[in-house]
Amino acid sequence: MKITRLFQRTMFGIFLMFLFIGVSTSVVSIYSVDLHLTAEYEENSRDIAKTIADASVDIILNRDLSSLQSLIDQFVEIQGISYIYIVSDTDEYLAHTFVPGIPESILESDRRVGETVTRNLAGMGDFVEVSSYILAGHVGSVHIGMDVSHVTLAIQKAIGNQIYLIAIIFFVGIFASIWFVSFAAKPVNSLLDYAVALAKRDDKGDSDLSRERILERNDEVGHLARLYQYFFTVADPQKLNRDQAADESK
Amino acid sequence: MGKLTRRQLAQSALASATIAPWASFASSNGAGQASTIPSNNSSDTGVTDSEIVLGVSTAFKGPSRGLGIELYRGAVSYFAKVNDQGGVHGRRIVLKLRNDGYQPVPAVENSVKLIVDDKVFALFGYVGTPTVTRVLPVLKKFQDRDFLLFFPFTGAQPQRQPPYGEFAFNLRASYRQETAGLVDNLVAIGRNRIAVFYQADAYGRSGWAGVRAALREHNSRLVGEATYRRGEQYTAVMRQQVERLKKVNPDAVICIGAYAACAAFARDAIDAGLEIPIANLSFVGSENLLKKLTDEFGTESEKYSRWLVNSQVVPSYESLSMASVREYADLMTRYNPTPPAEFEQHDYLPFAKSFVSLEGFLNAKLMTEILTRAGPSPSRALLEDAVFSIQQYDLGIDEQVDFSPERRQGLDQVYYTIVEENRFVDLTDWQAKFA
Repeated sequence: MKITRLFQRTMFGIFLMFLFIGVSTSVVSIYSVDLHLTAEYEENSRDIAKTIADASVDIILNRDLSSLQSLIDQFVEIQGISYIYIVSDTDEYLAHTFVPGIPESILESDRRVGETVTRNLAGMGDFVEVSSYILAGHVGSVHIGMDVSHVTLAIQKAIGNQIYLIAIIFFVGIFASIWFVSFAAKPVNSLLDYAVALAKRDDKGDSDLSRERILERNDEVGHLARLYQYFFTVADPQKLNRDQAADESK
Repeated sequence: MGKLTRRQLAQSALASATIAPWASFASSNGAGQASTIPSNNSSDTGVTDSEIVLGVSTAFKGPSRGLGIELYRGAVSYFAKVNDQGGVHGRRIVLKLRNDGYQPVPAVENSVKLIVDDKVFALFGYVGTPTVTRVLPVLKKFQDRDFLLFFPFTGAQPQRQPPYGEFAFNLRASYRQETAGLVDNLVAIGRNRIAVFYQADAYGRSGWAGVRAALREHNSRLVGEATYRRGEQYTAVMRQQVERLKKVNPDAVICIGAYAACAAFARDAIDAGLEIPIANLSFVGSENLLKKLTDEFGTESEKYSRWLVNSQVVPSYESLSMASVREYADLMTRYNPTPPAEFEQHDYLPFAKSFVSLEGFLNAKLMTEILTRAGPSPSRALLEDAVFSIQQYDLGIDEQVDFSPERRQGLDQVYYTIVEENRFVDLTDWQAKFA
């Protein structure tokens, strides 16, 4: 498949354009997915924290803490939630899901209920922690930790899928472009051949048929071909006379 | 931290599906072996002309299988005798068995199947707090069918108090009573700095809360805590937990766990130089715990077991002065029940006698009494009245049993045991042993 130099540049332009589209949409997507997914995880966790907080009031005030532990154990089975702990209004840890125990960094931290806190827990990883008051803080607070790597993995999956799709579009686009460019270059090549033939005074060009076809075209190539033919005849009046004589003899 | 996968759920479903339909205690040859036979006559009420069917979901497999198997064996030894003697009002007592592996989700699934599909008469002999705690709402859901849970092997509070207490009857003392007894005795000998090592679930929290409450009575508080994940094997390394507790320099550690993890903790604690009393609750399964240590260390296991002090909710199986203990010893010898054939695991060697199987035996004995009192036409709706008729009942262990709408726990006595010559014996002098 022969591609003219002119179209080679076009091809390169198309390639650059795809690259730009791919990179720019990926960057925007990463940012957008990261933002929305993180926000969604935080929102869901905050909802869970509120649900636990609402359900905890009765348990803490009237029932055994094993019921409270059973409650949070069920929620920690939800994908993305890594730990839950419940602190009383007197700063006592009433229930938690940590093994082998509550990390020092949590024990020593100032609890800011309602705010989103990022934590790095030794040996466990990075977490985003959300919280909710139990009975407006008069009973305590619920804290839920989400594994950042889980959110990152979800983002990577979403981005990976997008890049995969863009790559497919890119390669399909490249092959389609090559085909279209070749298709578009074919009459230009014919025009070039025709012009070369005219220049060599070989008025037959490639063949009579192709000469007729190119002169009959109703596009820019046809116009150019007819223009070349005109210039050729203007530049060579002898040939014009020969042709006229030939016509008259008929 | 864990999440349930589709695979785990499928496995649990498969575990239930592979269980043979009926387990019966046939003893026509006098051997009293638990055997599996199909039942031809089932009923919506769990009672037919020839059978009363009780539903059991327990740990027959997994790291805590020793508890489920021994509790079952003890119960079977008594039911086998009852069936040999013609049953209750002419009906044999039959157990419909399902394995939950001491995991909450299979326990809930099994319970629903026992109620909805198997239509058993009542639920009996469950094992574990995390399992029973999740099963209680199932009973509430089906309260219009009057299902009751009898004598679960757990001392936790949820089945002893509202809103689910009305759906269960307990025989054993509670964890609160066990932990209070341990704390009182430890504090009495000057071991005031008490830490806890507990299973990170409802069972562990129940014991943790019990220790915390008991310490409050002494104007004290927990000096430290460490947890482990349910299902840990004896091969698990507990050094992290030991290090956490060593830092707070405790006088004693109360363990609220199952035997495999608690044996691993005792091993690593002693190896780390934490030579202080290591107390365990009855749920631990004392003989299984000791066996883990003796299997690994042989004659040197005394180094690890000398610091153990285990609370029990039934008397020692060597207290042959008690009528029921004698009967238990006799029936265990006579029938020597094997683990259920459906779940038989050849690497598990049952104990000739154990605290857990004695508890299972007593559970079965009281259950039989209740079924007898329910009369020749028992119904779930009237079963509760039969339970409440148990007043000043002599169970044969020097402690009378009472039930009433306000009292849904039969026994209160807690016993304390230590290891001597590779077996658990009564602890008579805390001061001499641990002061």
